[in-house]
Amino acid sequence: MDIGYVNARVRSMNSRLLAREELDRLMHKPDIDGVISELERSPYRPEIEKASVRYSGIHCIENALRADLARTSQKILRMVRDEPFEKYVRISLNKWDIQNIKTVMRGKNIHVPVEEILECVVPAGELDEATFVELAKKPDVRSVIDLLATWEVEYAMPLTQNYDKFKKKRDLAVLEYALDKFHYRRVLAILKGRSYDEALVRDLVKTEIDITNIKSMLRMIRDGVSPEDGKNILIEGGNSFTAAMLLDLIGKRSFRDALSALATTPYSGIADLSGARADGGNISVLEKELDRFLIRKGIAVFRTDPLSIAVVIGYLWAKNNEITNIRIISRCINAFVPDEEIREELLYV
Amino acid sequence: MEQVNPTRMELMKIRAQIRLAEQGKDLLQGKMDALMKELRPIARSVTDSREELDSISVDAQRSLLAAQAADDSVALTSASFATKRHISLHITGKNIMGVPVPVIQKLSVSRSICERGYSILGVSGRIDEVAEKYERETDLIIGLAETETALRRIGGEIQMTRRRVNALEQVMIPELKHQAKYISITIDEREREDLFRLKKVKKILERKKKEKKRVRILAEQSVSVQ
Repeated sequence: MDIGYVNARVRSMNSRLLAREELDRLMHKPDIDGVISELERSPYRPEIEKASVRYSGIHCIENALRADLARTSQKILRMVRDEPFEKYVRISLNKWDIQNIKTVMRGKNIHVPVEEILECVVPAGELDEATFVELAKKPDVRSVIDLLATWEVEYAMPLTQNYDKFKKKRDLAVLEYALDKFHYRRVLAILKGRSYDEALVRDLVKTEIDITNIKSMLRMIRDGVSPEDGKNILIEGGNSFTAAMLLDLIGKRSFRDALSALATTPYSGIADLSGARADGGNISVLEKELDRFLIRKGIAVFRTDPLSIAVVIGYLWAKNNEITNIRIISRCINAFVPDEEIREELLYV
Repeated sequence: MEQVNPTRMELMKIRAQIRLAEQGKDLLQGKMDALMKELRPIARSVTDSREELDSISVDAQRSLLAAQAADDSVALTSASFATKRHISLHITGKNIMGVPVPVIQKLSVSRSICERGYSILGVSGRIDEVAEKYERETDLIIGLAETETALRRIGGEIQMTRRRVNALEQVMIPELKHQAKYISITIDEREREDLFRLKKVKKILERKKKEKKRVRILAEQSVSVQ
């Protein structure tokens, strides 16, 4: 299957994404049942119908959205299977695997029932639902890691290496940080080539690292975390910042300095935001802007080279964004939030 | 009215009871004033904490809605698995005018982002904000548990003391005074009766004496005529 064929299929999938007017129509629905009826007239219909058997109201919508995301991801993975560009799609979807492994470990750490853990798993990554069912059935964190190692899942390596540290501290964050850092190290190691596809995905990953680091830095400044502790949190390999630069800013403990350091980077739009809001400790406004920046960049790659992996990557970002927006609209309508406020909450339309 | 013996002994006993009841009433009144003085700052602190709790609760719910909407409720539940823990509180007690009130050791439930048990790289700031606000709410609830229990107990004690003062003031002391008055009236009455009776006896005796004297005179006169 060549990239042209895959892109044609993905373009057709992209054309089925909800247009701005359709989201506006959703936003103007008076209640959650109205939103469900509207979604039943959209490509989400099969998932809504399936979810409505077990759930109602907002839970029906959320479960349908998760199922739709998982189905779309699996469909694209099937399309690119055994192709040279498969690795880029896998890299884009790996964040779900990381999130799901973390969820299983968190659940096992405090002995949450298997069903409850599986409710929180979104199998939209490389590892499928059956994998997580087996992992969730394991009695503790150690056996989850062992099973991952038996299946030769790469994420078992950082977990095995750091298990003793976790056992000593009884702090799951040790394993989670190791997993996150391993993921980015591994991805950057894969994306070392000079092809257009490789450069495009690498740029997106590096931007993601920058944004994750900036968000972590802002949170650490707000909470007064020391640069020594910050060293374990920040990820190496960003586009505009090295971990050392960010640690220096954390050491200054000033939002203003941190924001002015962003002024000369592609993230200057965030630095322009009102400093007063940031000084107030409310950094969610800044985080939302950073998320918007990343989503815009991710979606924008769809319109670059039509014969590259950009189309698939752009579509995955757009799909993810659409699902987030539908969820925001549904949650806000469920809580009777006015239209203007919903519009403000939307990540990117 | 309770049956009482209208005797001087009983009167003395009742007067002693009245003195004791009035002393008790004064003491209870003093206790009530002292408790009121303790109650005022506690009530003010409870009102302030309640208002703060209400505003934090609204704020926390808003953050929760934002996190559920933007990050999905499963991400939130997953993060909650990592942060789940037991909160143990050390509770001692102290005495305020004989009222036992709890003292909860001030342990902050709020944690920094590095102490919540999850990696902040995979958890959004919105979820962090929710955790932070609910931790603050828990801190306030623990503080409020101490002051509100103290307020309820002191309030209950004031109510009980007021009932006792009222019972002494409105029922027991008037009743005892009434009994004392009754005894005193009865004793006075009895004294007057005794006095009247004595006067009556004296009168009879004097009349008898006069009669005897008259008989003797008459007897003497008849002897002299013979």
